Amino acid sequence: MTWAQSVEAVRALIRRAANEILRVPGAAIPGVLAPTIFFLGLTSVFGALDHLAGFPAPYKDWLIPVSLLQGAGFTGAATGVNLARDIEQGWFDRLLVSPAPRPVILAGLVLSAALRSLIPAAFLLVVGFAIGVQWPGLDGLVITLLVVMGMGTVAACWGTTLALKYRSQSAAPLMQAGMLLLVLTTTAYAPLALLTGWLHTVARYNPVTQILEAARQGFIGGVTWGDTWPGLLCLAGLLAVLSGLALRGMRRTAV
Amino acid sequence: MPAIEAKALERTFEGGIQAVAGVDLEVSDGEIYAFLGPNGAGKTTTVRMLTTLLRPTGGSARVAGFDVVEDPASVRRSIGVALQEAALDPLMTGRELIRLQATLHGLSKRDGNQRAEALLERVDLVDAADRQVGTYSGGMRRRLDLASALVHEPRVLFLDEPTTGLDPVSRRTIWEEVEALNREGTTVFLTTQYLEEADQLADRVGIIDFGRIVAEDTPTLLKAQIGQPHLEIRLMDGSTERAEEIVSRFGKPLPRKDGAVLVELEGGAARVAPVVRALDEAGLGVEALDLVEPTLDDVFLAKTGHHLEPEEPEAAEDE
Amino acid sequence: MTGTDLRVIVALGARSVKQTFRRPQLLAPIVVFPSILLAIQTAGAGQAVNLPGFPPVNSFLDFMLAGAMIQSTLLAGNSGGIALAVDIEMGFTDRLLAAPISRFGMVLGRLAGTAALSALAGIWFLVIGLIFGAHINEGVPGAIVMMLLVTLSGLAFGGIGAAVALRTGRASVVQGLFPLVFVILFLSSAFFPQDLLTGPAATIARYNPLSFIVEGIRDPVISSLSWEVFGKAIGSLVLVGAIGIALSSLALRRRLRMGG
Repeated sequence: MTWAQSVEAVRALIRRAANEILRVPGAAIPGVLAPTIFFLGLTSVFGALDHLAGFPAPYKDWLIPVSLLQGAGFTGAATGVNLARDIEQGWFDRLLVSPAPRPVILAGLVLSAALRSLIPAAFLLVVGFAIGVQWPGLDGLVITLLVVMGMGTVAACWGTTLALKYRSQSAAPLMQAGMLLLVLTTTAYAPLALLTGWLHTVARYNPVTQILEAARQGFIGGVTWGDTWPGLLCLAGLLAVLSGLALRGMRRTAV
Repeated sequence: MPAIEAKALERTFEGGIQAVAGVDLEVSDGEIYAFLGPNGAGKTTTVRMLTTLLRPTGGSARVAGFDVVEDPASVRRSIGVALQEAALDPLMTGRELIRLQATLHGLSKRDGNQRAEALLERVDLVDAADRQVGTYSGGMRRRLDLASALVHEPRVLFLDEPTTGLDPVSRRTIWEEVEALNREGTTVFLTTQYLEEADQLADRVGIIDFGRIVAEDTPTLLKAQIGQPHLEIRLMDGSTERAEEIVSRFGKPLPRKDGAVLVELEGGAARVAPVVRALDEAGLGVEALDLVEPTLDDVFLAKTGHHLEPEEPEAAEDE
Repeated sequence: MTGTDLRVIVALGARSVKQTFRRPQLLAPIVVFPSILLAIQTAGAGQAVNLPGFPPVNSFLDFMLAGAMIQSTLLAGNSGGIALAVDIEMGFTDRLLAAPISRFGMVLGRLAGTAALSALAGIWFLVIGLIFGAHINEGVPGAIVMMLLVTLSGLAFGGIGAAVALRTGRASVVQGLFPLVFVILFLSSAFFPQDLLTGPAATIARYNPLSFIVEGIRDPVISSLSWEVFGKAIGSLVLVGAIGIALSSLALRRRLRMGG
């Protein structure tokens, strides 16, 4: 396949994935609402934490990037669930039997998640700003959205890997839970200094902590390159690892 | 160069289940070859190996001249596939689906659109082309499935149970389409559980049971291996013994069935008239007369010891 | 209730429990997920004990344990509802209805299963809580009170889940209630002290029956047993349970009238 043909194929597959939200009424709603509900809920429950010494910002400003990443995680996991369904129903065989190269098929599957992640993110930001979340500045916003799209892709690769391994929609909770775990074992609830025990250690080495901090900077202060590049690097690294896993899974499904 | 070639093709699944236990076959260019066998015989597994969806655990296969394991990409470029479950996306329209297929095969947008229109016309889905596939009937889905498989004008077409679950009219439509494609030069490899389908469509039939080919030839020759057609004669006044004496002159008498006299006819249908004349001359009135040809099920029974088609459902209900 | 009814309830209850253990995706929300969340929240928000106004506790874990337990029973109720809806979709309930067993025995069997699962989950959290250093102030009597309340919660929330299942007959609808479970949890004192909640959640939590139930479970851990707190918890359970039973009965009658 030539480069142009590959791009065209990826575009066609992304267009197809969009049908899930455009043509199934109400399908998008849970995925869009859930991160916002969790954001509002967690802010109400743990909001008083920002009174602790060492907390650099109001809790809602602190928490919103976590919910943004959770939204990206749900969206990506949903991609995995849809793929599992397509595998169960035989549609995926049609893609495998075509001459489209495996990386092209994978790209078509996961890049749609990147774009779809923006939907819950947009909703959450609107609600967040409405209740007084700090405006992150244009640079902060751009970085945040980039990170959201990146995490959506990472989550989609994870979901795809599981879908290809288990070939069943019953793997859905594993897809959701995996991403949730990755995002919460970071400086999600509190700054690193205030985390205790094992979480302090895990958060220190979890690449998603860097990614989270890059997305968070605008909301709790100013945006600097020094706070951005580690996050982007970790994102790139995660993408490389998980897309590699997904690709390997694809190559194993058929000859 | 044969269109499809398999040598000792084997597939064993985890747990030691041997779905395909050494299949040798050769399908010539332009042939229609049917794989006939009951559920679980290994038909789908064989097709999946030949279409690069499953890796063989033994043996080798070449499709359109390319090895399925060494060069799967080239195989995929040369084949069209319509699998058992009409693998369609219910949220897409028929037109969108064929166009997507075209894109995946590398056709340009313009060529893809042209091809889609031609194929929709061919399978008579133009009116439904902009409706979501989820609203299509079973017959419509199969036709769309077939059209999708033809987008890139493949050399070899694989059809896995193409008419299972379809009503007789839809079934006939698919058959006509397959024959038309074959006339245009496409090699067709199809699997089926239906005798009539194999009989009607195929140039050659491979009978598969428990992962092995137990018989392979043209339908006619396969049936001829089993025996001659036989006559079932029901007499008006039940004078069966006298009738048996007479008919034994024309062929080997067979055990009576439900009061009917049976005789194997050497020479086939041409010998029916003399039998009737002889009975008539003897003053025996014939109430009913049936010429029964051996079927592929008889072939299957002879080769494997059990029937191909399941017991009649009516019988089960009566129990 | 006859002896047969009791046997049926036990048999169906046992089936529910077995089903859950055989399907990881039913067990995960009840045990795995709340345990992981407990670990993360305890370590993540642990410094909250230093906030002025936080009740005196040995550790944040002591405080959170009750929240994890109640989360588990809520999800058990949801899982039980899903399983019942699947039974309805598959026609298994029709088979039960055609058998000479009491109608309510059928639903009570499912609830018994949910209660049993909640009890087992309660034991799990007690054990891992103790392993990770939780300290139950009231000792063994305290633990017994906790287990009692957790088991009754399973019955009560199971009733709500069953009501939805019976009314809709569709597993996907019951599954859709999953986020609602978290909303209810957030609007209560399950994860944080009532007085330190912020926003409208603080007001709602004051009247949320779930808050009273959680505090009843928490009381023996961080404080001493109090009849008042225990009474409020039981009262709330009776309320939720009554609603659950009423809705389930209505839904079951409707289903029977309409032929399933």
